[in-house]
Amino acid sequence: MAESTTGPSAKPASRARPRLKPLDALADAAILRLRRYLPENFGVDLDPPVARPAPAGPSTAKLKAFGRALLSTRLDRSAARVRIIALGLLVAFAGLGVKLLALGVSHDPPETLKTAADGAVSGARPDLLDRNGLILATDIKTMSVFAEPNRIIDPDEATELLTAVLPDLDAKELRERLSSKKGFIWVKRHITSKEQAEIFHLGLPGIGFLPENKRVYPNGPIGAHVIGYVDEDNVGIAGMEKYLDEQSLTDPHVPGFAVDPNRLKPVRLSLDLKATHALRDELVNGLARYHAKAAAGMIIDVNTGEVIALESLPDFDPNDPGDMRDPMKINRINVGVYEMGSTFKALSLAMALESGKVTLGSHVDARQSLRYGRFTIHDFDATHRVLTVPEVFTHSSNIGAARLALMVGVEGHKAFLKKMGQLDRLRTELPESAEPLVPKHWGLLNTMTIAFGQGLNVAPIQAVMAVCALVNGGMMMTPTFLPRTEAEAEKVSHRVISAQTSESMRYLMRSNATHGSARFANIPGYYVGGKTGTADKIIHGRYSQNKVFTTFMAITPADKPKYLYLTIYDDPQSLPGDYGFHTAAYNAGRTAGLLIRRVEPLEGVPPMKEAPTQPFPIIARLGYGADADRTGKE
Amino acid sequence: MWRILHAFAIAALIGSAAYVYGVKYRTIYASEQLVKTRHLIGKEKDAIALLRAEYAHLARPDRIQALADSKLGLVPLTLSQIATVDELPDAQPKVDSIGRALESLGFTADNSTPAITASAATPPAR
Repeated sequence: MAESTTGPSAKPASRARPRLKPLDALADAAILRLRRYLPENFGVDLDPPVARPAPAGPSTAKLKAFGRALLSTRLDRSAARVRIIALGLLVAFAGLGVKLLALGVSHDPPETLKTAADGAVSGARPDLLDRNGLILATDIKTMSVFAEPNRIIDPDEATELLTAVLPDLDAKELRERLSSKKGFIWVKRHITSKEQAEIFHLGLPGIGFLPENKRVYPNGPIGAHVIGYVDEDNVGIAGMEKYLDEQSLTDPHVPGFAVDPNRLKPVRLSLDLKATHALRDELVNGLARYHAKAAAGMIIDVNTGEVIALESLPDFDPNDPGDMRDPMKINRINVGVYEMGSTFKALSLAMALESGKVTLGSHVDARQSLRYGRFTIHDFDATHRVLTVPEVFTHSSNIGAARLALMVGVEGHKAFLKKMGQLDRLRTELPESAEPLVPKHWGLLNTMTIAFGQGLNVAPIQAVMAVCALVNGGMMMTPTFLPRTEAEAEKVSHRVISAQTSESMRYLMRSNATHGSARFANIPGYYVGGKTGTADKIIHGRYSQNKVFTTFMAITPADKPKYLYLTIYDDPQSLPGDYGFHTAAYNAGRTAGLLIRRVEPLEGVPPMKEAPTQPFPIIARLGYGADADRTGKE
Repeated sequence: MWRILHAFAIAALIGSAAYVYGVKYRTIYASEQLVKTRHLIGKEKDAIALLRAEYAHLARPDRIQALADSKLGLVPLTLSQIATVDELPDAQPKVDSIGRALESLGFTADNSTPAITASAATPPAR
């Protein structure tokens, strides 16, 4: 405004002056204008106006001199300037140096929110696949809401608005956490996109979203005990999920060691999803049918030790594991230790045959119950006659098995069971394992009872491992939950019994299926061999008469086994048509039969029309083994 | 002479500066596109992972079993359903059914192609 009024008046004045001194005129005008804006003497009232600045004339000369001096480059007159510039540069570079040093020394990453978020966001995990590449566990991206409490203006309002969108949040707890002075808290993990949009539209400062990995198990409880589960932060808690963390196959989640999620290779397990489902389905049916307390089952490849399927009921859904401290939900195959009952007779017979003191043609006296001190060993299905070795197996004679074990003796028995891995804790990839319960003072009586499967508690997977070695030609290997070829299996296995003993065991199991206790599982076309096991349960320190633990082991095909099936029921009841029998054949045996019929085609094994012509060549040369299919062929 | 050289030098300087400017902005644009594309790829990968999980959930064995039980009425394979090659009946002697039909209709009588003799086919040379 001032300019517009002064401008026109100033210009004619400058034009009126002589043209020789335009600079003087400009300086005059500038000074005049300056004076108009500045109060007199900068507002200080000097009484004698002596110190008034000199008039325009001399001031222009001074300005000129100043300009010349400013632009002069003569060194002798510039010493002061050089010093000032040098000082200025020194200060500037010193400042830079200090900053560099500070950056180099400090450890704290500058962005606190990002680091807090990096530490909190759940890390990526590789997919878990079954042996055919079907998904057992995978990661999906979800959004999670976080808050920076130190940036939240009104925690009460924020709490109110957030709980309106997410009603399942605890309002009191959320208010407390939002009122804290922390830099980062989770409000809720894994929200839906609709909830995200609603929270976004609340427009709350200090509330944000972060993408996170969430583990999902599309098959629900199928194979849950093997797969395991993870916690909120995607850290493996049980099963193969924990194994992945132990093997550092997941994103380690340590700052500076981030793994590109795309580099995580899927991990293939030895499980077959369809077979596992079939196993679970049959066990669920069986559990309801026989009113059992618990059930478990397992399918294993006897030549490679790969676990094809493993189930233990009651189980859980790894998507929502809930309270896993419930002892009913344990993995009974790996963690439970049980007296395996008559399935242990297979080990006793193999031991007797391997020792060379007994052949398939030997006879064992089972005419009377076996007395030892004040204990008497009876047969469940007493024959009261002299039995051959195969008959001891097919009649499941306790007396016979005890007598055979006594022939080998306590030390030999112990050494054999040690060699078969029954006395030591068996560790697989699964983090869950159990120590077998071995009697402290192992006397003759212990040997007698352990010979028919009472008095030694082992994990079922241990017994399965031993029976695999008995039937696969004598090679012992640790069961695995990862794929393993036969060549790899050969490297990790060692021989525990001779091929001949192994063939004898296959022959015994086959004859047990044709005219022994395993008849229910003798599915035509699969040349099944099997062994039942019924152990009396210990209730309050005494063997119960009516509570049993039943097991069944089946091999297919018995001449050249590929798969071993194990089914277990805890305290099954008899069905109406079974005359009150609740022994293994009537429940575990039946389930195994259904399972074989169902799983073998799934694994690509069609039923055979004809039984193999030379199933047991080694023992056939010795004169045995011709009668394995006697009833089968009749 | 020098002036022309100077002019050239200045022109070259300005030209190269303009070129560098252009290259720089094209680079920035390209890297932005790269980031955007990477982001899109990441999004697609997440979507694929979600779809795979969804597929696996829909194709889970217990669901398929329930559907098959209610809709398909399949029964387990039994031994009687399997036959070997030698159990198949031998092939029947070949029957010319079309020829037999023609015969019954009486078409076989004079449908033989007339013989073509050399004399009839080619006109005599003249």
